[in-house]
Amino acid sequence: MMEKAINIFYMGKGGVGKSTSAALNSLFLAQKGFEVLLVSLDPAHNQSDIFEKKLSDSPKEIIPHLTAVEIDQEYWIKRYLKDVHNQINRTYSYLTSFNLEKYFKVIKYSPGLEEYALILGFKEVRRKFLQHDFLIFDMAPTALSLKFFTLPSLSLIWINHLLALRKEIIKKRELITKVRLLNKEIETDKVLSRIEASVKDYTSLKELFEDRERTKVNLVLNPDLLSFAESQRIVKGLKGINIFLNQIIINKILCDSSCEHIERELKGIPIIEAPFSETPLIGVNILAHFLKENENIMSTQPLKALQQALI
Amino acid sequence: MKALLARIKEMIVETWQVGDRIGRSKAVEVIEGEVEEMENIFGLLVLGSFVGMPSPPMQISLDLMPYMEKELILMLEKVDTASEPISQLFSIFNIG
Repeated sequence: MMEKAINIFYMGKGGVGKSTSAALNSLFLAQKGFEVLLVSLDPAHNQSDIFEKKLSDSPKEIIPHLTAVEIDQEYWIKRYLKDVHNQINRTYSYLTSFNLEKYFKVIKYSPGLEEYALILGFKEVRRKFLQHDFLIFDMAPTALSLKFFTLPSLSLIWINHLLALRKEIIKKRELITKVRLLNKEIETDKVLSRIEASVKDYTSLKELFEDRERTKVNLVLNPDLLSFAESQRIVKGLKGINIFLNQIIINKILCDSSCEHIERELKGIPIIEAPFSETPLIGVNILAHFLKENENIMSTQPLKALQQALI
Repeated sequence: MKALLARIKEMIVETWQVGDRIGRSKAVEVIEGEVEEMENIFGLLVLGSFVGMPSPPMQISLDLMPYMEKELILMLEKVDTASEPISQLFSIFNIG
């Protein structure tokens, strides 16, 4: 089945308004009649508060055409480790598997599993909702988000190295088998098959992140210097893994805010300026009212991209 | 006479086969030792965290772990013989 869904990611420093911007964009697109799924990948899960609705890992309708879901990091780590553990119990001898029990008890605290849990959640969302028009992701704060986007590229460096070494081992093993057992059929190496599956998986994920038609990364920042400094680091970090920003949203702009430095330093990336709202943007009605008053803050870029994709 | 000739032929074939087997075995012993070392390196790269070595992103180790019991056991065995690399090398080359 053809993957139709366009991913829109909202990134930025904590507290700049990523979740609100993601919620406003979701609402805007759903009001235009598109099928939208808003996904919270931020462990803080602000969307429940913004829409005043208890969200979970199963999609809940916010308004017609708009559903929202929260990815539970803990659940994905547990599920993944359980799968690996079960597989080990099936393939290992009893004694080896028994000796690994202790290792599995501490492994869930290993660094690196957090971002992998988000990747697993992301893949599941894409698998289940690929027929939606838009999948909008409210991301975790900078460090975790950058690790999320870096994971496929970083894993590919390791996995390609392991692939080369494994192929070398198999080549030599084949030689031994040929000499010793003449032309006895050599069985498929399961490790090699698993490595090749991983290469395919990470490559397609990397390509998806780099594809500017299917993936749009929006950066939210405030006019203050701290948020701007962190945003520059995000732009640099993403550029290093070949991901380019789709647009910048300068949020919470006051009458005396100056955005010249942002426009100057991040030129070439479309910028949208969103005003500061006196009323807290909580609840569908208030969000919809804010959208109506500030329609210019919503870019029509994703809509054009979707139209092009459909053509 | 005929039977004797057949017996001689049979003996020559047998000797040839034994020689061939010994030759083949000698030829691959060194390669086997090399493969074992490579498998150990592979095990260390993937499951190095077991013996305190830097390891790849955790999910790569965990994805491959269910298929690597042999490498895991080999790696743990190698830890035991790590203090005697020379004797190991001598046994590969059949010295002494």
